Amino acid sequence: MADPRKPRPAFAPWDRREIPGLFDVDESARRVGIYKWIEMRLFETLGGWVATVPELDVKLVLGRHCYHHAWHAELWDKRLPELREMNTTRLTVPANDAMNEFMESIREPEAPELTIEKLVGVYRVLIPRKIAAYTYHLNATSRITDAPTQRSLGFILQDEHDDWTEGEMLLQSLIETEDEVDRASRRQVALEKIVLRAGGITGPGTLGDAPDSSGAQVEGATV
Amino acid sequence: MSHAISLTPEAFTLVKFDAAELLAIAEDAATAVGVPDDVSIAIDVDEALPGPLIASAAEAVPGKLSFWFSGGSFEDPKRLAMLQPEMSRTELAAAFLRGRDRLDGGFEDAPPDGEISERQRAIWDVYAEGRLAQQGGFLINEPRRRYSYRLRCGFSDVADAEYDRVWKAPSLSWTELEEIEGRLAGADTRPEARKPLRHESLRPS
Amino acid sequence: MKKNLPPSELARDSRFVRSTIMDAIMDPRNQALAERDLGSAKLQPGRPAAADRARNLMHGIFTGEIQALEGAGRTTFDFDDDEAPFALKLDMARQCWDESRHVEISVKLGEWMGTEIGEYNEATFLYEAACATDPILRLCGVNRALEGLAIDVFNTMREFGDISGDPVLEFCEDWMLADEVTHVKMGSDWLRRLTENDPERRERALEFQRGVDKLFSLGGFRGETDENPIQLARKLRAMAGFSTDEIDEISEISVQAQEDARAMSAGASAPS
Repeated sequence: MADPRKPRPAFAPWDRREIPGLFDVDESARRVGIYKWIEMRLFETLGGWVATVPELDVKLVLGRHCYHHAWHAELWDKRLPELREMNTTRLTVPANDAMNEFMESIREPEAPELTIEKLVGVYRVLIPRKIAAYTYHLNATSRITDAPTQRSLGFILQDEHDDWTEGEMLLQSLIETEDEVDRASRRQVALEKIVLRAGGITGPGTLGDAPDSSGAQVEGATV
Repeated sequence: MSHAISLTPEAFTLVKFDAAELLAIAEDAATAVGVPDDVSIAIDVDEALPGPLIASAAEAVPGKLSFWFSGGSFEDPKRLAMLQPEMSRTELAAAFLRGRDRLDGGFEDAPPDGEISERQRAIWDVYAEGRLAQQGGFLINEPRRRYSYRLRCGFSDVADAEYDRVWKAPSLSWTELEEIEGRLAGADTRPEARKPLRHESLRPS
Repeated sequence: MKKNLPPSELARDSRFVRSTIMDAIMDPRNQALAERDLGSAKLQPGRPAAADRARNLMHGIFTGEIQALEGAGRTTFDFDDDEAPFALKLDMARQCWDESRHVEISVKLGEWMGTEIGEYNEATFLYEAACATDPILRLCGVNRALEGLAIDVFNTMREFGDISGDPVLEFCEDWMLADEVTHVKMGSDWLRRLTENDPERRERALEFQRGVDKLFSLGGFRGETDENPIQLARKLRAMAGFSTDEIDEISEISVQAQEDARAMSAGASAPS
């Protein structure tokens, strides 16, 4: 029988979590504020679109996903005060003007015949970008000091992957002609150009700095 | 081929049905289900009864079939007070089959429609619509018929098995229908108060 | 995308055909029927044409759920952050998911009962309650009036399932009923919170709700007598936070709506 008084290490041998991470409190809070702003604009957009899409299956999926993103916004809203940001609206902002323009463009389509344009914006541009940014945050921040953020990121990423899959399947079932392939592509290109100008959904450095040509260590390369 | 068909009212005033169109549909339905040419048909439509109040009654005497229908039996569920031709054709054909059953199809001894139980009527309706489904060419909503039947005969495996038999039955008599009703009554575990009773009719007495 | 989408722009596929509530009220058959004694109008399994009446009502629930989904969705979008609190929008997003599930349940129930999508026409008066430009009026119209009506309808249908021994109908209605009680509570809570220091706004909201409740009584569709197919669910409404006075008021509104409809129908049938 194990001796209950025998000293054991605080970290089990298989627990390889380390400190520090790439983000300090302020950077984590900045990103979380931006995430909340994006999730809010997204759930509002999906909620608004429900009445404008005639396809019944799409209508119901948007209603369901609307709540997923609202819940994400709620998780981020609760995390902000824990990151020393008591005025949660102060950081609930877009990363920059281009990002604001990007979200305005995402939510622009309204007519009932524009379901492809609506879904491409969310499921082929925004959500992949969110998955990338959230995954980067998950990998880059300290698994010890920023564990609450990581826990939320884990739940949220699960939703994002599931929703991405569902949205992409809807799109593939809606795109039936070459003209519709072109429509989807044009829409994706237009939005990608805006988010490129924004430097990613949290602004320049969304996925860390790009490696320089000398091959030197850069942010995000190691912890 | 043509039948002597009369329609009451001769012109509709509360709904936007075209009497001539309904008569033509009735002629087509009568021919499709083989009502003999020498049998006259009288159709009485109570146009005040809207959808979803769908109800009908059939009477038969040698050489003549008489039918009563609620206006809802022919009304387009999507368009208020408008005639729905395909649905009307099915409703008429099913009623005509029941009329033929009464005339010489094994139901000569059946009590008048106003006196049969809801369960008996439900079984008979399944038998009529099942024959239309097998014949083909009619607008059939089988799940609707199944639900109406279950509501009257019970939501049970026994009821479903009887339904499947009756739906595909090539022939049935009033005596056999009464036997089926007996089996259904025995299998109906719902409290007595919840079992279907003969209730008041939509048809004015 | 613009704010405040009018009912005429609700997007539907080709299966759906729209009707207006006035078409139904002005139908000349109403007067003819009023002069007959057809017995109790309550939706019960033993009544004539019960199966088709239930199927018709189930389709009405289905389209109503679509409109409730659309109304909740629009409330997340139509108001800026300074017009509607963040938490209110979160509640509306949650309601979107609930209503979306209710549509799914309704489609499955429709299949069970032999009803096809778009089989019956659709009136958009439920969504019209979700078009107010003040968020609290909208909450009162949708969460207290519309969802309150949903409690009455689901309770009637749950009883219908129980009496007829239909396990699927009873199961589904019971689950939807649980959500609706939550939605009504949500509306009552926000009404209290947003108008705590603004009695005039509260009165405007309640007056708006009265108007919607009258509309939703549909000339006698909902009430407490044998003439009303849908019965007012007093106990469940109390559970959802309605006071006895409020329930009494809805009952009186229903009686008034029935009398108004009779008068309109008689007027429409009278020779000019």
